[in-house]
Amino acid sequence: MSSTSQKHKEFVAEPMGEKPVMALAGIGEVLGGKLEEKGFDKAYVVLGQFLVLKKDEELFRDWLKDTCGANAKQQRDCFGCLKEWCDAFL
Amino acid sequence: MASAQLTDEELFSQLKCFGYIPGPVTENTRPVYLKKLKKFREEQQQRAKGRVSGTSSSSTGAPRPVRHDVRRLSSGRRPGLKSSVLGFSSDESDAETPLRRKGLDHMKRPSRNPHLQQQLKIRTATPLNEANKKQYGVGTALKSNSFPSPDGQTNASLGWETGKRSMHDPESRDEDINDDEVQNSHPVNGRSAARLNTSKLAGEYSDSDEEEVGGHGGPERDRRSLELRRIYTSGPFASHVDGRSRIGGKNCALNPFGNRAMAGCREEDEERGKKGDLDASGGLRSHMLPRKPIYVSLGEDRHSKTGENNHVNSEEVASGSNIDLRPRYRAAYSPILNPQGGYSNHSPVQNHAYSPGTQKKKPTAPEDELLLQFKREEQPSSGSFSAHYLSMFLLTAACLFFLLLGLMYIRMRGSGSPVGDGVIKSHPFGSNFDSSYSKTEKDMILKLLLSLHDHLGIVAGHHDCGEEQYPSRSLSREQVTQYLLAQNGDFEDFIDVSLEWIIRAGQDVGIKLSGQRADDLVTDVSEISWLESTHPRMPFTCRFCRALLTVMNKVLVVAVVVGLVCSVVCYVKYRWRREEEETRQMYDMVERIIDVLRTHGEACQENRDLEPYLPIPHVRDSLVQPQDRRKMKKVWELAVKFLSANESRIRTETQQIKGADFMVWRWIQPPLSSDKSKMWQGKAFPLDRRNSPPNSLTPCLKIRNMFDPDMEVGDSWDLAIQEAILEKCSDNDGIVHISVDKNSKEGCVYVKCLSAEHSGKAFKALHGSWFDGKLVTVKYLRLDRYHQRFPQAQGCSVPLKASSLHQTPTPYPLQHGGPNSSGFS
Repeated sequence: MSSTSQKHKEFVAEPMGEKPVMALAGIGEVLGGKLEEKGFDKAYVVLGQFLVLKKDEELFRDWLKDTCGANAKQQRDCFGCLKEWCDAFL
Repeated sequence: MASAQLTDEELFSQLKCFGYIPGPVTENTRPVYLKKLKKFREEQQQRAKGRVSGTSSSSTGAPRPVRHDVRRLSSGRRPGLKSSVLGFSSDESDAETPLRRKGLDHMKRPSRNPHLQQQLKIRTATPLNEANKKQYGVGTALKSNSFPSPDGQTNASLGWETGKRSMHDPESRDEDINDDEVQNSHPVNGRSAARLNTSKLAGEYSDSDEEEVGGHGGPERDRRSLELRRIYTSGPFASHVDGRSRIGGKNCALNPFGNRAMAGCREEDEERGKKGDLDASGGLRSHMLPRKPIYVSLGEDRHSKTGENNHVNSEEVASGSNIDLRPRYRAAYSPILNPQGGYSNHSPVQNHAYSPGTQKKKPTAPEDELLLQFKREEQPSSGSFSAHYLSMFLLTAACLFFLLLGLMYIRMRGSGSPVGDGVIKSHPFGSNFDSSYSKTEKDMILKLLLSLHDHLGIVAGHHDCGEEQYPSRSLSREQVTQYLLAQNGDFEDFIDVSLEWIIRAGQDVGIKLSGQRADDLVTDVSEISWLESTHPRMPFTCRFCRALLTVMNKVLVVAVVVGLVCSVVCYVKYRWRREEEETRQMYDMVERIIDVLRTHGEACQENRDLEPYLPIPHVRDSLVQPQDRRKMKKVWELAVKFLSANESRIRTETQQIKGADFMVWRWIQPPLSSDKSKMWQGKAFPLDRRNSPPNSLTPCLKIRNMFDPDMEVGDSWDLAIQEAILEKCSDNDGIVHISVDKNSKEGCVYVKCLSAEHSGKAFKALHGSWFDGKLVTVKYLRLDRYHQRFPQAQGCSVPLKASSLHQTPTPYPLQHGGPNSSGFS
């Protein structure tokens, strides 16, 4: 059984379209709210940031931590989710 | 924090200096990259302090774990330092040095050890390695007493970390050590000298390590290079440790320094070379490697220089000279490193930091040598140096050879065969001659003829050369007779005979006889009035000059011809290239015009107030900068012509704009896809395990993004949508219920199939396809939820089929034979 969550699977299963940022794995309400305050209101905006950081894990996780205060697990989940999404659809 | 002063570009370039290529530095990514920069710098320091990771691979791709290790370990060992690091700023000016100066003295030593060891590991090839190792052995023995913990780690096999974060070796640390060790060295004995050496070597290594990575923040580099210089100046170069050590005060202090310095210099370069190999940013490599051979040869130089050094040592050299030399050093060194600003800031600092006592007396010679090293660097290395001369030599030899050859040739040509008074063996008169006369007579005749021939030749030659002595080329008979008599009295009898024989000889004997007037043929002796030579003999210089002139003329002619041909060819090529360039520019311009017109056309679609055409001059002026207009005039003309001839979407016409007539362009391509019918437009991505569920889960599907409810016009667009879905799944006759949710923002359509298998097929057909410009996604719904929502679907069991007419959606339900299904939501 893979170690990805249901959210991860759901997100990766289809193009994200206009999904909110809360749809990202690892991002719940609180973090999602913080991201939205900073202007990252949709998942694709976070995707944009991920791509601008050249899909670099460390940088993205640092950024995530700085922006919304995600802990390591949340960072990891989010990064993994975006990475897999990119692998599938990008 | 000073990091805020960094512009994006600076941040970008500084990150690149660490061998890391960052992504774009934007508003959002700035803080991340700043942190990364800080991390890099921290690593530098920590690398300076303690190399702990012994397992880092030599691949450049593994800097991260190394970094982490270093950071973790060093943070464990050095809490004090870390606090200073936190105050790190990109502006590494004096603000930091006092911090460092506070001198975690005890901490610096262990850093030397591992650093030294690592560097030694690399230097397998140096001959000095042995000596170093021995010294180091001593040094470690000394040091290990005082510093227990780090040595254990460092004594393990240390791979060379190629993460290549150069150590930021704070100068104060080195200075302090220098001071300590200088003081320690005064009681000079072998061991302390050795320790001195090793620590200095370590300092060397650390310096070189820093230097290798090249252009990191300016102050860093400057500090490093200053350090390096300092260390170099701190001792004369002694080629070997042994002989020169004069026991006594400063000399002893100097010698070890010198030894170390030289060793360090050499090693440093090798190390640098190696580092260059390993560094990710291999830009320095090309600089580094060529220096190696120079330093190899420099060793010998140092041998010779030690004598001077010692002399110089004994003199008092003002520290001012040190200062003077440093800029020279820097200038010479600049090709390797790019010193940035802030350099001069540190030199006064350095000077103060120098322990004024012994250090000041460090001679200029070492620096001279250093300078020599670097100056020579700019020249070709010794090997190629001689090669250069060799080629020159060969060239001159070849030239000389050919010159000699030419001269000899000329000489041969010019001179006849001077036979002198010997017996003339051959003559052109035939066998009759031999039979007619006795031997002596024959000889006389022949001698006469020969002298006559020679004389005439000389006369003619001189005449040809323009000497006034001989105004005419030919000699009259009286002159000839005179001359011959002057030669030899016996000739008189034979003159006529010879002349007769000359006439009789059918071939040219070298003397031309002519009658009263020139060019008269003579048949009889009596008619001879003038004698002329046909083989003039010219003096050597004259010959040479003439030959030279001839050759030069010919060469000149050839050169002129060749030059003409070349110039013609060049001109043709130039023209051709110009034309190509113009054509390219023209196409470029055409593209831009088309873009402009197209956007304008599209804007006109939306905004009915705009005129659908654009005047040509306006387009030109908007595309071409004013300063370029003159240059681009021709290109523009070509572009206009091209457009009018070849572009079908643009029509050129004349319109009146604000009272003036203008040639305008009108964009007449109708907008694409005004077709309202919805179409499937292909698949966006292949469906594989990752983006689709492995098996179809339920018979119910929710299809998203089929439409946008706000944008739909018409009454029965939902039916069109249903039709479309059915068409797409036409092979799958298991769809029993379709429901278009007209109000959903997401454009949802709910589909129920006969079985999971059918829904799976439908999923594969629909998920990820483009429909009407939108990317459609499908997901499975639970059957009970579906029935909750669409109770009428519970009873559906008849497969739906698309109607045959797609274009005009029939207003009625599409299914046939399905009385149960009624109504669509």
